[in-house]
Amino acid sequence: MSFLQHFKVLVVDDTTTSRILISESLQDMGIRQITLAKDGEHALRTIMAQPQHLVISDFNMPNLDGLGLLKAIRSYAPTRNTPFIILTGKSDRALLERAAALGVNNYLTKPFTTAQLKRAIEQIVGDLR
Amino acid sequence: MDAMSAIKQTFFQECEEQLAELEAGLLAIEAGEAEPDTVNAVFRAVHSIKGGAGAFSLAALVQFAHVFETALDQLRSGTLAPTPELLKVMLRAADLLADLVQAARTDQVVDEGRSQVLIDELNTIGGGLATDDDGGDGDMDGFVFNPVTVGFDFLDSVPAAPAAQSFSIRFKPRPELYAKGNETALVLRELERLGAIAVSCNTSELPELGELDPEGAYLDWSVELTTDKGEEAVREVFEFVEWDCELAIQAAGGAAADAGFDVEALLRSIQAEAAAEPVFAEPEPLALREPLTMAPAPGAAPAADAPSPAAKPGQARGEATAGAGAPQTIRADLERVDRLIDLVGELVINQAMLSQRVIEAGHAPGSAVAIGLDELEQLTREIQDCVMAIRAQAVKSVFQRMPRLVREVAGLTGKEVRLITDGEATEVDKTVIDRLTDPLTHMIRNAIDHGLEAPEARLAAGKPAEGVVRLSAMHRSGRIVIEVADDGAGINRPKVKQLAIAKGLIAADAVLSDEETDNLIFLPGFSTAAEVSNISGRGVGMDVVKRSIQSLGGRLSIASRPGKGSTFTMSLPLTLAVLDGMVVTVAGQTLVVPLTAIIETLQPKAADVHGFGGSARVIAIRDAFTPLIDIGRALGFRAQATDPAAAVAILVETEGGRRSALLVDTIQGQRQVVIKSLETNYGAVPGIAAATILGDGRVALILDVDAVVAETHADATLEPVLKAAG
Repeated sequence: MSFLQHFKVLVVDDTTTSRILISESLQDMGIRQITLAKDGEHALRTIMAQPQHLVISDFNMPNLDGLGLLKAIRSYAPTRNTPFIILTGKSDRALLERAAALGVNNYLTKPFTTAQLKRAIEQIVGDLR
Repeated sequence: MDAMSAIKQTFFQECEEQLAELEAGLLAIEAGEAEPDTVNAVFRAVHSIKGGAGAFSLAALVQFAHVFETALDQLRSGTLAPTPELLKVMLRAADLLADLVQAARTDQVVDEGRSQVLIDELNTIGGGLATDDDGGDGDMDGFVFNPVTVGFDFLDSVPAAPAAQSFSIRFKPRPELYAKGNETALVLRELERLGAIAVSCNTSELPELGELDPEGAYLDWSVELTTDKGEEAVREVFEFVEWDCELAIQAAGGAAADAGFDVEALLRSIQAEAAAEPVFAEPEPLALREPLTMAPAPGAAPAADAPSPAAKPGQARGEATAGAGAPQTIRADLERVDRLIDLVGELVINQAMLSQRVIEAGHAPGSAVAIGLDELEQLTREIQDCVMAIRAQAVKSVFQRMPRLVREVAGLTGKEVRLITDGEATEVDKTVIDRLTDPLTHMIRNAIDHGLEAPEARLAAGKPAEGVVRLSAMHRSGRIVIEVADDGAGINRPKVKQLAIAKGLIAADAVLSDEETDNLIFLPGFSTAAEVSNISGRGVGMDVVKRSIQSLGGRLSIASRPGKGSTFTMSLPLTLAVLDGMVVTVAGQTLVVPLTAIIETLQPKAADVHGFGGSARVIAIRDAFTPLIDIGRALGFRAQATDPAAAVAILVETEGGRRSALLVDTIQGQRQVVIKSLETNYGAVPGIAAATILGDGRVALILDVDAVVAETHADATLEPVLKAAG
C-alpha cells in the first residue's frame, strides 16, 4: 500500500533536537513526507500553503504555541479536520482540557519512544502499514 | 558516528545556545527587566533542555532541570517575585545546569551533593512543589482523554492530487525581462501545457510608433487558466521571469470558499489572545542548520491575499526571507579557511615581487603595466581583508563566560562584584579568541581577588559596597584593545616594592618610578597575596598572563591609581598573519619595524644627541630627552656606534607608553608583510618577533620593539638620569 508514501506529516517544535528526533521516528515508521516547522506561526503558514495529513506539535513554543496553532488550524475551513497531536512536557490536566476543547486528536508526553508515537498516530488514523 | 550520537551532538549544541539564553535572561531579570517575554524565554530554555535530556535518558539532568523549571514556572506565573536573593539562587542553578550538561556530554558525573543543595534551595523557595518526580500526573484523576479518530475518507480527501482549479493570472513584463532574452510567448506556451487557457492582452499603454522605445515594455496579459497541476506548477512557469515582471496569480474556483481568508488577521488575533494569557509569545531567531528540509518560511501566503495586482509574489518572498532575521551562515572546515589564508599570503608576496620586478625593468610609475599592478595590489589587499574577515569572531564568545566566573570568585572571596562588559561585538581573529580565555580569566580573578576591597573596607573608604569590574574591548589603530578595570584600592606600591626586595627581584636601594613599581607584578615569581589564596594563587602569576599575551604578539600594561583602582590593558594584533611594517636597513640587514609602534621618523642632528655613562645616548626631540637605541649594536650586527647624523631615527612608543628612538641606517619604505613564525621555522631570537619574505624574495626579520626597548632599559641607571635631565 502506498499510503505511507503519501502520508504528509508536519512536525512543529522550537528545538532542533526534538524536530530531528521526531522526524527520525516518523521515518522509521516508513513515513516519507515530513515537513518541519520551528514554531506555530511557521507551521500555520506552511499548512495553509501545503495541506497535511497530520500535525505533530509541541505545546511550548515562541511566536505561536501549540494551542494557538491548533486553534488557528481548526478555524480555517480547509484544515479544520486535520488530525493534530499535541506534545507536552508533563501530563498537565488544564492544558489537556483546553486542547481537548479545541479538538485535539491525541497527545503524547515527552519523552516518548517511536512505538508510543506510532501508537498515538494509529489511534487516530488506524494501522500504519 | 551513528545517527543517535549525531542527534545527541545537536542536542548539546542546542543546550549551549539555551544555556546562554538562560543566563542572559536571568541577568536581565536581575537588572530589573522582568518582562514576560524574558521570563518565558528563560523558562523555555530550561524546559527544552529537560525535554531533550529526557529523550536521551540523562536522568541527573532531567531531575535537576525539572526542579529548576518548576521554580521558573512560579516566577513566570507571579507566585514568586524576582528578588535579588531568588535571582542569585537561579543564577547558581543555571551554572549547575551548565555543569550537568557538560558532564552528560563528557559522560562524567557531577557531585550529587551539589545538585541536592540547589534542589533543596529551589524547593524551599518554591514551597516544595516540585517534589513529585514527574510533575503533574497526580492531578489527572478522573480525566480521561479519548483519542479522536478520523476516517480514511479524510485521508483520501486530503491534498496529493488537487482537483482542477482555475487561476487568474496577470502578467506585466518589465523591460528587463526582454533585455534578458526572455520571451512572453514562451511563457504563455508553458502555461498552455498546464491546461485550458484564455489569454487577453492589454495594449492600452502602447504608445504611438514615434514615441515607442524599442527596448520598452508596454503590454500586459491576463490569463484565465484551468489546471489540475496546482498553484505550484503555475508559479514554476514564471520561475525565471518573476523578478522582471509584475505578476499576480489568483486561485479561483476550488479555493473560492477561502478567498477572503486572512492568515495575518488570524495570526494576529490568536497571538493577541495568547499574549493576554501568561503564555509564550516571544520571537526567537533560530539558527537554521537543519539536515532535513524546512518548510518554506513565511511569504508563501496564498496569492488570494495579495492586496493589489501590483504586489509581486517574488518580491514578497524576498522580503520575507530577509525579514526572517538571522544572517545566513555556512559552516566551513577551518583547515580550508587557513589554507585560503596561506594562499592569499603567498599572493601578497608574489604581487609585491612582481611590482618590484616591474620597477626594476624600468617601467615608469604611470605606465599601463604599473597602473595595472597598482590595481592588482588594491585587489590583493581587498581579498586579504575579506579572507581575514572570515576568521574574525566577536569577543562575545569569550566575554559571555565571564559573568559566571565573577559570580564564583565573588562567592569565594565574599566580595560584592558587578561585571560590566562593553564592546562585545568587537571582532578579532579566531586564533586570538581561542587563546584569550585563559589570560582573561586570570585577569578577572585577579581584579576581584587582589583589586577589589572587601565590602566593609569599601564602605569605610566611602565607596559603594559593590565593586565594579569593567571588561571592555575596542579596536584601536589596527589592534584590538581589551581592558580589565576595577574600582578597587589600586596597587599597593610600598607593599609591592617591599615584596620585590624580599624576594630578591630588585635591589634594596633601587629607585623605581610608580610605573616601574606597578610593573613589578609581572615579574616571574611575584605574588602580592600575603597568603596564597585559592583563587588567584594557583601557581599562575601575572608573569604567565603577560607571557601568554606576548606570545600572541600582544602587550599587557597596567595603570593604577591608589584608592581608585587598576586597569590592565592588553593590546593584541587583529590577526596573527599579516603586519604593516616599515622596512629599514641596519648594517646591511633588512629589518621590518611594526608600524603600530612608530610615532614618527626624523633625521637626527649631531647637536641633539648627547652621550653619557658608557655607550648610552639620548636624543633631544622637541625639548624632551629620549633614549637613543642603536639597533645595529642592540642586535649585535656591529660593534661600532653609528653616526646619528648619517642615520635615521624612528621614534617608537611601547605599550607601556614609553618612548624611545631607534637608530637605523636607512628607511626603504612601508609595506604589508606576511608573518612567518621564527620559532616554528628556526628558533626564538631575542629582539626579533618573527620573519617575513620580502618582494624580492629575501627573508627579513621583524623587530620586536618592546623587547629591544626593554632590553636597553634594563640598564636601570638610565631612567633616573633622564628624569633629572628632562
